[in-house]
Amino acid sequence: MAALTDRPAAPVARRADRGPHARFNRILGYAVLIAFGLVFLYPFVIQLGNALKTEPDAAANPLSPIPDPLTLAGIERIFAGTNFPLWLGNSLLVTVLVTLGRVFFDSLAGYALARLRFRGRAGLFAAIIAVMAVPGVVLLIPKFLVLKQLGLYDSYAGLVVPLLADAAGVFIMKQFFESVPVSVEEAARIDGAGVFRTFWSVVLPMARPALITLTILSFQGSWNEFPHSLVSVQDPHLFTLPRGLADLVSGSLGKGTQYPLKLGAALLATIPVAVLFVIFQRYFVRGANEGADKG
Amino acid sequence: MATEALRAPATAPAKPPRRRGGGVRGNETIAGWLFVAPVIVILGLFLLLPILMALWVSLTDWNGQGSPFTGDVPFVGGDNYTRLFAEDGLDRRDFMTSIRNNMYYVGIVVPVQTALALGLALVVNNRMLKGKGFFRSAFYFPSVTSSVAISVVFLFLFANSGAVNKLLGLVGINGPEWFADSRGVLHLLLGAVGVDTPPGALTSGGPFGLTWWDWLSGPSVAMVSIISLVIWTTSGTFMLMFLAALQNVPVALDEASTLDGATRWQRFRHVTLPLIKPTMFLVLTLGLIGSWQVFDQVYVMSQGDPAKTTLTPAYLSYRTAFRDFDYGSGAAISFVLFLIIILLTLLQRRVMADRDEPRRARWWRRRVPEGS
Amino acid sequence: MTPRTLTRAAVAGFAAVALFGSAACGSGFDDSASDTKQSSGPATLQILIGSSGEAETKAVQEAAAKWASASGNTATVTPAQDLTQQLGQGLAGGTPPDVFYVDATRFADYASVGALEPYGDKISNKDDFYESLRTTFTYDGKLYCAPKDFSTLALEINTDLWAKAGLTDADVPTTWDQLTAVSQKIKAKKMVALALGDTRDRIGAFMVQNGGWLMSKDGKQPTADTPENLQALQYVKSLLANGYAKFPKQLDAGWSGEAFGRGKAVMTIEGNWIKGALQNDFPNVKYKVVPLPAGPKGQGTLSFTQCWGVAAKSKYKDQAIKFVEAMTAGDQQVTFAKAFGVMPSRQSVRDQYSTAFPADKPFIDAAAYAQGPVNAPKMDSVLRDLEAGLQGLTTGDPKTLLSNFDKNAKAALGG
Repeated sequence: MAALTDRPAAPVARRADRGPHARFNRILGYAVLIAFGLVFLYPFVIQLGNALKTEPDAAANPLSPIPDPLTLAGIERIFAGTNFPLWLGNSLLVTVLVTLGRVFFDSLAGYALARLRFRGRAGLFAAIIAVMAVPGVVLLIPKFLVLKQLGLYDSYAGLVVPLLADAAGVFIMKQFFESVPVSVEEAARIDGAGVFRTFWSVVLPMARPALITLTILSFQGSWNEFPHSLVSVQDPHLFTLPRGLADLVSGSLGKGTQYPLKLGAALLATIPVAVLFVIFQRYFVRGANEGADKG
Repeated sequence: MATEALRAPATAPAKPPRRRGGGVRGNETIAGWLFVAPVIVILGLFLLLPILMALWVSLTDWNGQGSPFTGDVPFVGGDNYTRLFAEDGLDRRDFMTSIRNNMYYVGIVVPVQTALALGLALVVNNRMLKGKGFFRSAFYFPSVTSSVAISVVFLFLFANSGAVNKLLGLVGINGPEWFADSRGVLHLLLGAVGVDTPPGALTSGGPFGLTWWDWLSGPSVAMVSIISLVIWTTSGTFMLMFLAALQNVPVALDEASTLDGATRWQRFRHVTLPLIKPTMFLVLTLGLIGSWQVFDQVYVMSQGDPAKTTLTPAYLSYRTAFRDFDYGSGAAISFVLFLIIILLTLLQRRVMADRDEPRRARWWRRRVPEGS
Repeated sequence: MTPRTLTRAAVAGFAAVALFGSAACGSGFDDSASDTKQSSGPATLQILIGSSGEAETKAVQEAAAKWASASGNTATVTPAQDLTQQLGQGLAGGTPPDVFYVDATRFADYASVGALEPYGDKISNKDDFYESLRTTFTYDGKLYCAPKDFSTLALEINTDLWAKAGLTDADVPTTWDQLTAVSQKIKAKKMVALALGDTRDRIGAFMVQNGGWLMSKDGKQPTADTPENLQALQYVKSLLANGYAKFPKQLDAGWSGEAFGRGKAVMTIEGNWIKGALQNDFPNVKYKVVPLPAGPKGQGTLSFTQCWGVAAKSKYKDQAIKFVEAMTAGDQQVTFAKAFGVMPSRQSVRDQYSTAFPADKPFIDAAAYAQGPVNAPKMDSVLRDLEAGLQGLTTGDPKTLLSNFDKNAKAALGG
């Protein structure tokens, strides 16, 4: 894993950094880092190792990261014995649609709230902030009810539409647009561009960092989304990865433990976000800290 | 936060002179509402409206058949709520059990994850160490993965002959059968000091249908494994928040106190800690809100078992509605949970406002500009 | 928030409600079950089953495919991970599967809310079903659905491990005392004697063996808190506390059959379905089936049954009923029996079954002294509370467990 972009290293070679005392501290620091690094990463190593083991091997040597013998039987069974490809397809579809929707709708609203002057703007923004404070799990039954009444239950629309906009994304975009100098768009507007044209071809291209952050947050959020898919669909053909995985694990009579298979499926479900994380780490970090700001 | 938000537009930089009505900004009202319309419709339709609908359902006995908004559905008023608090029966016992479980869960998760996150942030922020970026990523990575996928891994780690018990075995400890063990940790501790049978005074009665002895069980062994999972996944996020705050602590201040001969602990206690206090409160608030909502892990790992010791209000509300067809009760439980979360958040905000406003202002004044 | 903001938020709320109003009219409140529009012609049937394992899933899928191609319809069989929950959501969401398994325990719940189509009279030769099974699926005097099959509990013994523990055929336990005695011997060899499911559906058998049961004979009154039941639970508790019996979770298994198949326990108490599961997952395990050991009051076991429910809201009721007809035909039942070991619900094929499976004698014989499931409505949460107690039986107090059950059941049945 590549390092997160660090801020410029503080000047070294201070007096306190030298001597046996400092060396001891440094060793202690590394020891702590490495110990916790193991705690935080070793489970993933175990996951990878055991996904490639035979069942008896996984049961007997769960700690060992090295499969003996190495087998792809577990991985093959994921594709042969479960609906994994279907879940994967559904997850991709839902994630792409939700991400596109969120990026577009959230930046539209964020721009309006940051820049356009219209009656009710302040109240609207306060309402959106209030919405952000509603805890997600208390919405399980409510969401089910509304989807049922709207006739969206058990459909792709039910999986996607409710997630197409989120308050946190609006907040992030609003914050960003407020930091963009007004002069550029004023110029465009004076040249006769309409509000949407200005937004689309002048302001939005400048918002690339914020858009990337939002894209990543949306992708990660909707890829991992579990409770919503739990209450919005029942038909196994509409299961997304987390839902399929959850059903695989909470398994019924006779399914057996099959740890290599389950770990493998969980691993495959983790890979897309992991890849994204490695490539776009600093946007993840920014996203986490945006989360901090909004509280 | 609402107040900050309202203040925000005033800080927008370099405003040109306004020309109200007509001209360039003339069509902004329409455009503005059009721009926010999709978000309003989606949030209104799938957040606000559902809450109102569920509020209605929580006042009825709807059993899941047909529409809850017809005259056929029996209206029961506040019955679903009073049953959770005032009537002796299974509903109240289940609900109170779930509250107990979640209280122990919060009581352990919030302090431990906050302390761990702060500790990791301090180490990672140490300017003498190299490769910090890697470790920062490593600690944060679990937070971005799917809760369901991670639960699968932890089910494996905490299996009876799994990795955790193998590790414990290396140091000579015979690990418990994690997900089959419904014994409360406090009860176990009491057992270890010789209190095997509960004192009669504690079993004869207690508030809300559970005996004092039940209330004092502590989290079950099974719950402990869920607790460790959650601490493991969330600490990374909070570490990043602490890290952002620590990077704003002026280096000069730290050095000045070093020269004054302050020990490491004194510097942390009297310089660093006061400066990162707002972040500390933020982390505590977010942790508190999040840990009252634990659901995914319970659903995947234990479904409330063994012996209801991992039952949480969120999971109970789901189960009551979708398994027992008692949507009224389920909705009522989720509203009570909503209320708990809001009250705790408000309480914490109040504590934060009372204790911290002056200090926070000072911090802003003293803060050195830094390219973070 | 300022008062002004609140007003605005309220206005937004009302706007949303207004919007919802128009949307809801479109989707309609046409939820009353009776006037679901029926479609004739080729149907696409969704069939949801609570499968006992891959053996059963495969068998039902094959039978459904055969029926579909012969009748020109489509039939998709889906095994549910959690039938109750998935079905509950489907029924409440207005999109139930057309045909689904209904467990005897949940039958009354579904029938009482009008979720099931009472099609029993349309099935040919319905009197051929065992009478006790028909009674189980009758609500308000109407036979709602055709019994799928039934099964009973017996004791399975892993013969290899049995010999390894130094035991012979003469040691097969027929009483509680003998069960304790052999368990002791097995434990002395560092093995687990009995894998026991931590549910009423297994532990309850001990109550029956001691002359007790959770409900009265007519199924209307709870009768858990009796000396007979208490003694039975105390006996089970002693098995657990001594480490003779272990719950599947303690053995790292999802259910007893898996633990048994992996050789983690020498004996287990399971029903007919264990045959199919073992054949499929653990084909090399050698075992034999014997009747459950008798308790102080004689022999006792539990029986289970399910029926083929047809959703009242199905668009293809006629075709669904024809499908059930095909699935419950005598020949088909024998095919199912061969695939996953359940016993046919039709008496006319009983002899055919007995001759085909002489080794299953203990299961069939057990029908004579088996106790059926609790099948009153609204009992599920009460029963689950009991199960929660049973999970903690090793350290818990059986008396409290039983009296709680009575208290809760009275509230549920009275309310």
